[in-house]
Amino acid sequence: MQNAKDSFYGALRSRLTVLNPERTVLLRGVVRPGILVEEAEAPVNQLPSDVFVLRWNGLGVDVGLSSTMAAAECEIVYQTCGTQAFGGLDRGRLLSKMDAEIVALLDPYWTPKLNYTVQPAATMLTKVFWDEPVFAPAVAQRDQIVRSAKVLVYSYQEQGE
Amino acid sequence: MTQGWFAAPAPVARRVRAYFAPVNRAAQTPVLFDASEQGGFSLDAPPSPWMDLGWIENFARKSGSKSAPLLTGIPAATLEQVRSTLEAEVSFEFLSWTKLTMALATGTQHMNLMAPQSGSTAVASGAQALPAVAPQSGSTASSIMLTASDAAQFSAGSLIACDVDYAGQTGFVGSPVAGAYVRQALSDVDYVRRVTFNVALVSSVNGGTLTLATPLPGGAPAAGMKVQALKGFVDREGGTFYQEWSALFVLEGAQGERVFFHYPRLQSMAGAAESLSPLGAKNSGAHQRAALKAQFMALPVTDPLDGERVLCYRSFLPAANALI
Repeated sequence: MQNAKDSFYGALRSRLTVLNPERTVLLRGVVRPGILVEEAEAPVNQLPSDVFVLRWNGLGVDVGLSSTMAAAECEIVYQTCGTQAFGGLDRGRLLSKMDAEIVALLDPYWTPKLNYTVQPAATMLTKVFWDEPVFAPAVAQRDQIVRSAKVLVYSYQEQGE
Repeated sequence: MTQGWFAAPAPVARRVRAYFAPVNRAAQTPVLFDASEQGGFSLDAPPSPWMDLGWIENFARKSGSKSAPLLTGIPAATLEQVRSTLEAEVSFEFLSWTKLTMALATGTQHMNLMAPQSGSTAVASGAQALPAVAPQSGSTASSIMLTASDAAQFSAGSLIACDVDYAGQTGFVGSPVAGAYVRQALSDVDYVRRVTFNVALVSSVNGGTLTLATPLPGGAPAAGMKVQALKGFVDREGGTFYQEWSALFVLEGAQGERVFFHYPRLQSMAGAAESLSPLGAKNSGAHQRAALKAQFMALPVTDPLDGERVLCYRSFLPAANALI
């Protein structure tokens, strides 16, 4: 499933650079698109604001098919405290903007599966695909509003995976 | 060495998309779809004359064809089977209400509610209409040129129908799609425009030019066609006319494979009905979506390949690199 997880993240990151190139994050001294994989970064107490954080949760496997299918649940967590210019009073608007970006980033609901363990990344035979997002209620945490969207990501296992 | 193929399980897809094309009723000629030539089309831009009716829900196909045994011997045993009846149905729900989806989901003719003349007597299928106006030369499918006084009847947001005056003819009427079958001569000069599919939304009016939001399905107005304002649509339970269309349903799998269900001749077989589904929580005050229920019977065509009579074609274009 690692290739599928990498491909899903890569697709969303590429789409974000087109959709909203201004959404960036400074991470380990480098400015990157504002989307990251939680398990691939150093543990932190507080997730960054105005950034999409991909958190991989459940996993299911169906071995009864001609190609084994794996399904992993990706929780996309994002939060904002608004802008200083408006004293944070625009945090609801910014959260709505991130909601809309998630919907746009996930469409189309598939991407080619890539193997990122080789350079350059190699296109594999199958595609990674996913369901429509299920949004959780927004939660206020001090001066921030936090929301998450869960997406089931599917992939067929290929030779060598 | 890396394997260059994979064993593809059954297609998985999120939705089914519907496309319809008019059957030439007078010539009894359906529109045929060839997946080998046209199967790679963009789902947002179907090949002409197919019209995109968007995503549909609860798509279901049902074969009613029956076979019967050919018995021989004592005691009798089945020697062969023969196909005794050929029958198939398709049902689904449209998620939008447009002229075309309403007409297809209606068992009989579907009419335009023409803008009424002031003070005219109320009629359930539409009162006496405001007079139609003639397009000027230079009109196209997307812009209608009128005299300044005629154009004053219309404004941005107006709905229009464009077709010929009814002149006592019988048979199929309406352009580019037969909207009704007239059995005996009528007296309403606007009847053809009441049933025509050649309708559009006016996006702007500039001088004497109506600019349309989408082109007229029938193309540039032909000689003798007139433009008339309409308010909406009306259909009826009852009547003798059956809508007949060629249909194409596309199921695009997650691996890029495509399944096409092509019905050269589909006739609507049920009256108008809606399916209500709650948008959110099921409580008495919740909003409900009213989807148009559509149910069709497939009619046969003769396949020129071998002379067989068939109702439907199912074509499958496998995903790239998938074993077959």
